[in-house]
Amino acid sequence: MHVSDGILSAPVLGAGFAGTAALAAVTLRKMDMEEIPKVSVVTAVFFVASLIHVPIGAASVHLILNGLVGVVLGRRAFPAVLLGVILQAILFGHGGVSVIGVNALMMGTGALAAYGIWRLRRRMAMVRSTFVFGALAGATATLVSGLILAAALATTGEAFWATAGYVLAAHVPIKIVEALVVGACAAFLARVKPTVLADAEPQAAVGGAPS
Amino acid sequence: MPLDIDRYAHLDSPVQRWDPRLKLASLGLFVLAVSLLQTLPLAAAAFLVALLWLRLAALPWGFVAQGVRWVLLFLMPFFLILPLSYPGPEAFRVLGLPFAWEGLRLAALITLKAVAIVLTAYAMFGTARFDLSMQALERLGAPRLLVQMILFTYRYIFVFLAEMRRKDIAMRARGFVKRADRRTLQVMGHFVGTLLVRSFERTERIYKAMLSKGYTGELRTLVRFRANGSDWAKAVAVTLVAAALLGADLVGPFRAAEQGWF
Amino acid sequence: MSGGGGADWAIQVEDVYFSYPDGHQVLRGVSCAIRRGEKVALIGPNGAGKSTFMSLLNGVALPTRGRVLIEGLEVRKEHLQEIRRRVGIVFQDPDDQLFCPTVFDDVAFGPLNLGLPEEEVRARVREALALVGLEGFEERSSFHLSFGERKRLALATVLSYQPGILVFDEPSTNMDPLNRRRLIRWLQRSDKTILLCTHDLDIALEVCERCLVLAAGRIVADGPASRILYDRKLLEAHRLELPLALMTHELLHEKLRTGDLDEEHRRIIARFLHAHRHVHGPDHHEHVHIHAHPHEHDHLHQPVDESHVHGSETVILPEAEERGDDAGPAAGGRRRG
Repeated sequence: MHVSDGILSAPVLGAGFAGTAALAAVTLRKMDMEEIPKVSVVTAVFFVASLIHVPIGAASVHLILNGLVGVVLGRRAFPAVLLGVILQAILFGHGGVSVIGVNALMMGTGALAAYGIWRLRRRMAMVRSTFVFGALAGATATLVSGLILAAALATTGEAFWATAGYVLAAHVPIKIVEALVVGACAAFLARVKPTVLADAEPQAAVGGAPS
Repeated sequence: MPLDIDRYAHLDSPVQRWDPRLKLASLGLFVLAVSLLQTLPLAAAAFLVALLWLRLAALPWGFVAQGVRWVLLFLMPFFLILPLSYPGPEAFRVLGLPFAWEGLRLAALITLKAVAIVLTAYAMFGTARFDLSMQALERLGAPRLLVQMILFTYRYIFVFLAEMRRKDIAMRARGFVKRADRRTLQVMGHFVGTLLVRSFERTERIYKAMLSKGYTGELRTLVRFRANGSDWAKAVAVTLVAAALLGADLVGPFRAAEQGWF
Repeated sequence: MSGGGGADWAIQVEDVYFSYPDGHQVLRGVSCAIRRGEKVALIGPNGAGKSTFMSLLNGVALPTRGRVLIEGLEVRKEHLQEIRRRVGIVFQDPDDQLFCPTVFDDVAFGPLNLGLPEEEVRARVREALALVGLEGFEERSSFHLSFGERKRLALATVLSYQPGILVFDEPSTNMDPLNRRRLIRWLQRSDKTILLCTHDLDIALEVCERCLVLAAGRIVADGPASRILYDRKLLEAHRLELPLALMTHELLHEKLRTGDLDEEHRRIIARFLHAHRHVHGPDHHEHVHIHAHPHEHDHLHQPVDESHVHGSETVILPEAEERGDDAGPAAGGRRRG
């Protein structure tokens, strides 16, 4: 899910860059030297996984997985999404250089929202199913991102109100796809290697860094 | 999906020879100016100027067209949505549906601006090795940490692409076919899950390898950029073009005229 | 016990225990000492603790108990940078070790971390790439190289900071025969202290004069490779088996005896057995030179002239191995792939 160059108004583009810079500054705080390669390498997986297409009806959509980024990387999900957006804008050749700010803000906020939902899992006494919370996280991420995209379009001008509505409607099947994939993936990870998930017990650090 | 945007970085042209810092800064200003444009004639002018960048960079049209095709595909719906939903004077009717001039104008404006920016992005990032472009961005003030992470991610995208292809073949070899059903989505979830588990194991090994080679949390580099007079001249020229486009758009005759036309 | 002056020892491991924070114990009292310039194979089944052992050598993991000394310097948090300069580890999967955008950056990574001046770094990169036959690859991206090239590049990234000790994790995995042969020649010719952690007992047989067997977190055997790698009982007791080179004849004889072969196939096998009977025929076991190609000999090795008792294992040093100091084609195996 992304918006392309040339559509949004300058104030919206500016707000996107400002918001992204602020959130990146907050979510990159206290990054230790082990996390630099870790977050980057895991981001590479998400980048690659977002190239996967799944059929819906006669058409097919590619996975977004920003909810899963939140479920796996916690607050580091925002910088991860930002990396992904920058690389897409530069490497794909589909454009997006001028909308890096808006796209990162839209997708990254979705990822953070997913992390928020995912964390609730610990406080729920009754429903603890990782599938359910993974699915909720996946759907929430898409919902939040969709709303931000719609807001960005709507603020650009009245002409785009209808477009914003279509965007929200078109996202319904995508939400379902994301919910089911992220749910299945979260349940799988909880079973196979729970330390990959964002709110797992802190992993024992490997070895010592030079003092 | 070709990911080697820098495949023609080795070509010899005024754009490839340009100091990446000045190139990215001045073409970046051009992109900024284009995204501010409001009038159709100047958007068209920007599009022509962007074509000029590509011509100067000697990038093959076919290579660029691949990316531009996607942008056009993405923007096509606007030629329906905007004219049909715009509350304004009607241009014509198709199957009884009213198309508004102003909507059409807006769709054309968006498309010209988008394509101009995408073409400029090719001139920015298609003309130097990716890692050098990133280093140049860092010298221009992009956060160091972020640039380091981009380079890491970039490196491992290729490793995981290969891994994903192997896993995909292994799944299809066992008769898996993607369908629009829940099981497909579940399998995809597990597929991504295995990639993630493998990547976590890999990051632990990479970190060990980095520590083994004396990593202390900083990636050092010997890359140096040098700018000479002609680098600066190009940068000034591009900046002037950007300023001229924007100025003409703001105070030129087109704004009022367009309001009159539509 | 080992120890002493420290001057002759490259690696000293003294009664080392290691367990993970979750309590899982991997190493239970490992002791061994490796001399400078020695070539040692560390073999053992999966899960024996080989990887952990390697991580202890450069302080990527620190022992729970006991100590590790590298050229006399104890591996402790304070010395990690120095230790890591002395010990180079070449990992199994080159993609884990090649994390930079270009070949140059990867090879320069270690020297830059040492804070060397720019000219020195550039010289070291050139030299390291030349050593593995990748001259002129500086500006390439590692992900566009072939697997064999990446494996050699991973070695160059370690050589560039000039460690005296090289530790290899499964160096021959996934290599095609030509690259494997080049690596073997390279290892044979090297004058560094070399520790090969591997399941590939054939490479151990060709390269190493000494062999350590690690099983269930302990060193269960330590002795000349020419003895341990021929000891079927010992190897099989620890989920290993004889090097293939030593089993070929046996397997072929077995095939001749029991196989359902046509005449043609029988003739081929018989001819092979006849032609190679002098290399390692079943009745030539006392002759321990296993070089498949006699012209690929190593530089002369300092024969080690003493036996010493080490832990509970008696270390019997190699019977004076006289290997020809055949320089061989100097650039052999170093051509660009």
